[in-house]
Amino acid sequence: MISSALKALKANRLKTTLIYLSLIFSITSIFLISSISNGIISMYSSMLRSDGDIIITQAKISDTFFSNVDINLIEKINKLSNIKDSSAIIVGASPVEKLPIVAVYGVTKNRFINYKLIQGTYSKENEVLVGHSIYKQLQNKNSIEIANKTFNISGVFESSIGFENGGVVLNIKDAGEIFNKSASMIMVNSKIDTEIENLIKDINSLSSKIEAKSTDSFVDNYNQFKIIQISSNAISFIAFAMGLLGIVSILSITINQRKSEFGIKRAIGIPMKKIVYQIMSESFILGFFSFISAFFLSHIILFFIKNSSHLQGYVNGEITSTLALYVFFTSMVMAISGAVIPALNAAKTDPVILIQGNKI
Amino acid sequence: MIKAQNISHSYDNDIALKNINFEIKKGEFVSIVGESGSGKSTLLSILSTLLNPTSGKVYFEDIDFKDIKDIDTFRQKNIGFVFQFHYLINYLTVKENIQIANENASKEEIEELLELLGIKNIIDKYPNEISGGQRQRAAIARALINNPKVIFADEPTGNLDSMNSQNVFEILKKLSEEGTTIIVATHDMSLASKIHRIVKVIDGQL
Repeated sequence: MISSALKALKANRLKTTLIYLSLIFSITSIFLISSISNGIISMYSSMLRSDGDIIITQAKISDTFFSNVDINLIEKINKLSNIKDSSAIIVGASPVEKLPIVAVYGVTKNRFINYKLIQGTYSKENEVLVGHSIYKQLQNKNSIEIANKTFNISGVFESSIGFENGGVVLNIKDAGEIFNKSASMIMVNSKIDTEIENLIKDINSLSSKIEAKSTDSFVDNYNQFKIIQISSNAISFIAFAMGLLGIVSILSITINQRKSEFGIKRAIGIPMKKIVYQIMSESFILGFFSFISAFFLSHIILFFIKNSSHLQGYVNGEITSTLALYVFFTSMVMAISGAVIPALNAAKTDPVILIQGNKI
Repeated sequence: MIKAQNISHSYDNDIALKNINFEIKKGEFVSIVGESGSGKSTLLSILSTLLNPTSGKVYFEDIDFKDIKDIDTFRQKNIGFVFQFHYLINYLTVKENIQIANENASKEEIEELLELLGIKNIIDKYPNEISGGQRQRAAIARALINNPKVIFADEPTGNLDSMNSQNVFEILKKLSEEGTTIIVATHDMSLASKIHRIVKVIDGQL
């Protein structure tokens, strides 16, 4: 069956190539959109998880970018029992020199250690630490302008979270002046994991203007992640539908051109299910090879995206084994379900057409 | 062997066959002749189980076609087809084309069959690598691989030159002499005249 399917695909080269390309584009799109959106979610959630068991934001604010929390709360929080340490961060974005948008992280002193220095020293007042992804684009400058204020570059850092490598880090006081806020979030580490829920209650009782959540709960319920995930799924579905329609339409044309083949098979008593299996096998083989090709093509594209200076390291997709398995399953469903209608049409070919005139 | 009883057939409002009654005995070599549009192709399609008549009954060895549950297996075991065009599958070799009809047929069996038809040397060739006459003989080999009781041939020499037509006719004649029932639909009267029994279809009637 497989050998015969391969021969049939080889014999119909043009249509086979068209279906193959249509599947590759569709599967690659699914790979890219899923891996990039997962990458963004993974990087931002890693950043949030990296420094605390509890995250405190402004109450009833849907996005951390708009959150403003009084940094003086840190003193009160540190006085609570079972607190290991607390840090604060301002998350913002601003044009930096010629770059239209750069993430700006204002952090408390104890958070600087998250950024591994590869050059220079940690920044003090009126100084910034620059991520290595954008350092080259700044053409090794000694100072940069952020929101009409000049900062000296004290060092270059590298973070395991690729997202951060495209940004600049400065002390929270300077960032507060730029964005006119105290802190976007306060991150709290607990001495004892089992005490987190009690600590959250204690922190929430400190002010009605804040909302403390466990980091896991915060990340799981973060609206922006949900929006990215829903958008990614919607675009993946469109790519899936396009691939599916590509298979159905091109395979239908192929089947129509191969009517005499299916007609003679029906005439000599080949059961309909065997013809359906044959078409399904052809589509399955195409789906399998398209998946392999799309897998490698996606890796190549993601490599270029990751290393593109224009994207400053913000877009960083990773194909995990779970994602590969999910896309493989999706590809096979696409290939097989796309072959159903053409296969049934092929199996229903009326052999009478072989006798009654030159209708083929 | 095959008995048609009061067969009528129509396509929408066009009547193709009207109340046909006749019988074909085992080993008979029958020619169904008629002008284009006379109904001979419809009759051949009905007798070969490819088409159900609008009314009437067809029996194969006293079994009503309508009582056959697995028509595919029945056709595979009992009926061979030879068409005007060979309908060999281009991407398969002659051997593989024959194995479509019987996937258990060994290379030796196929070679033996092709030798009888004088085309043993083309067993591994593709249809586009052989002549028109060889293709038609390969199609006959595909029809014979299951040792069918009946062979239906629709204009089997329609696309062949006179020498190849004669060859194909001789093959069918030999098969008939060996006990296979042969039913040929043709409008070629010179071919039909060489056949024992001629059934003439005019305006859907015998």
